Amino acid sequence: MTGSKESFTLNFKAPEFSEELRSEGAEFLQDLPVPNRKTERWKYSPIAKLLNGSLKTFGSEGLVWPEEILPDPVPFLNSYRIVFRNGTYVSSLSDFPVAEGVVCSPLSEVDSVEFKNTYHRKEWVGAMNATYHQDGLFLTVDKNVILDRPIVVHHLTDGSDTASFLRHFISLGEGAGAEVVVWCSATDASSGMCNSLLEGHIASNAYLVIDKVCNEGGEIFKFSHEHLIQERDSRLKINTFTVKGHWVRNELEILAVGAGTDSVFNGTYMPTGLEHVDNHTTMDHAHPNGTSSELYRGIVYGKSTAVFNGKVFVRKDAQKVNAFQQNSNIVADQGATINAKPELEIYADDVKCSHGCTVGQFDKEALFYLKSRGIGTDEAKALLVKAYVGDVISSVDRDEVRNEIVRLYSERHGWE
Amino acid sequence: MLKIKNLHAKAGETEILRGLNLEVGPGEVHAIMGPNGSGKSTLASVLSGREAYEVTDGFVDFDGVDLLDMDASDRAREGLFLAFQYPVEIPGVSNMNFMKAAVNGNRAHAGLDPIKGTDFLQKVKECASLVELDGRLRDRSVNEGFSGGEKKRNEIFQMAMLQPKLAVLDETDSGLDIDALRVVSQGVNAMRSSDRSFIVITHYQRLLDYIVPDFVHVLSGGKIVKTGGKELALELETKGYDWI
Ligand SMILES: Nc1ncnc2c1ncn2[C@@H]1O[C@H](COP(=O)(O)OP(=O)(O)OP(=O)(O)O)[C@@H](O)[C@H]1O
Ligand SMILES: [Mg+2]
Repeated sequence: MTGSKESFTLNFKAPEFSEELRSEGAEFLQDLPVPNRKTERWKYSPIAKLLNGSLKTFGSEGLVWPEEILPDPVPFLNSYRIVFRNGTYVSSLSDFPVAEGVVCSPLSEVDSVEFKNTYHRKEWVGAMNATYHQDGLFLTVDKNVILDRPIVVHHLTDGSDTASFLRHFISLGEGAGAEVVVWCSATDASSGMCNSLLEGHIASNAYLVIDKVCNEGGEIFKFSHEHLIQERDSRLKINTFTVKGHWVRNELEILAVGAGTDSVFNGTYMPTGLEHVDNHTTMDHAHPNGTSSELYRGIVYGKSTAVFNGKVFVRKDAQKVNAFQQNSNIVADQGATINAKPELEIYADDVKCSHGCTVGQFDKEALFYLKSRGIGTDEAKALLVKAYVGDVISSVDRDEVRNEIVRLYSERHGWE
Repeated sequence: MLKIKNLHAKAGETEILRGLNLEVGPGEVHAIMGPNGSGKSTLASVLSGREAYEVTDGFVDFDGVDLLDMDASDRAREGLFLAFQYPVEIPGVSNMNFMKAAVNGNRAHAGLDPIKGTDFLQKVKECASLVELDGRLRDRSVNEGFSGGEKKRNEIFQMAMLQPKLAVLDETDSGLDIDALRVVSQGVNAMRSSDRSFIVITHYQRLLDYIVPDFVHVLSGGKIVKTGGKELALELETKGYDWI
């Protein structure tokens, strides 16, 4: 039996900041329906099971970081760090940049933040985040300031029936630059929901790089929504790697609100067992001369399911836009499912758009070639898989981050 | 070394091999010629375990083991090598990682530890120079962007790395210019020994001037229809296949 919408949020406690947003969120929370199988955007990612749980938020009480999880998810990376556990900021493990023109702190310690996105007015999941968000990263970088090291945002879920709500805000001034690694971990015994939102503003000629990694054990429903606004000539690169996760929904929205923007967004997913991974992306070109390049690759194993939905809009005035989208999928086992849907809406006439979406099996010829040299079936597949997703992973700039992602995938999929 | 008895194989509903018999002794070189579509590549594929083909009858003994009973990896590890007519491009897998995995797969089968890095590199160097394989090609992805001739050299390079008992060369000479043909043939000849056998599939007598066979067979309609010495190749070159 499915629990009711009202009882689901009964044990969620909202901290005392951003009152205005919370009260608006609460209104929409009442009005917005819980998505079900008939809701187009959620058709392949039903969340009825989530409502069965009786989840609660945790405060800072009894905060002890579990030993088996490193606070630093990317070993050897010379970075700043902001750490959260079950939605709550862990000050003792965090390390902020201190530099002129940079403000970096937990969201809860900032007086007022003007989020521009309206996700909470559209989706129940977003309304929950607006109403109950516990904390998050707040980062502003002033004009022409380049952050000297990446910031790692690490969220850990541990404990059962946990509800965590994170809300991150990033704003880069004209010509500024920053790199952020958004990393989520969870212990094997954990369960519940992790609901996060990130809003990023990239002013003209600024650049933002985000590497997002989900490496969660346990049984967590994970909602993550990224909303990025790019002004004239700004650059964005965001990679979304789902290494491990019981039920994961990544939503990425990129809005080009000025001309000449460049957006690169890639992702990989390789669910196994009964895991579910959904990637919904939207690229909205409303201005001329923008470029975007999207590459998502996935392999579904066992009885897992994956969803890809990639929307690309090229509005009427967005002439000379160059938009590329590629999504390829391998169905490794018979019980696994992929639902892939590219959606291109192009209203400008002088544009270059290319897209491809494939669903297939392992390349039999390549597999036979490898095996005919004495390489065993599993190892041959591992070589192919590594090459296939390796292509995407290679777009990570930092060696340390890339190596760690490869290491985790290797460990999980026995790549040697 | 190899005994093929009454081999029948089909792909889908198409019967391709129809009662093929062939015996190859240790150290021997057998050339197989025959018209397009007669089943030469199919024979090579069936021997090396390509899954698209179904063996419906017959038996293949390879040095005392039932070849058809094994999967492709194990056949290779038992010492069978196929030089592909059309080598496959595998983007993202480096030639070196590929060869290392192959060498170690074979070593593990023989109960040996993985090869040491320096030994591996030494071996690569030797084998590459055997077929004059450009150093830059070694570092690229498997066959990706290789010219036709480079692909064929890469096949012989791999053969040299793996030191098989029996090598089946499927049209290794097609697409090679005369210099490349000489280099590749020299590579093969350097590997000839009293306990290594070759099956050389070709359309051209020219190759057999370099790699001199002990026997020449004509495969037609899925069977060996004629067998002779190396002079048979010359005869085929002038008379074609119709007279058989
Ligand atoms: N996988 C397959 N499915 C269906 N038919 C096949 C398949 N493989 C081969 N055939 C058919 O079997 C016949 C023999 O093919 P094969 O490639 O063995 O010929 P071949 O003797 O190597 O020819 P060539 O000299 O042109 O290389 C051909 O008619 C070919 O079309
Ligand atoms: Mg052929």
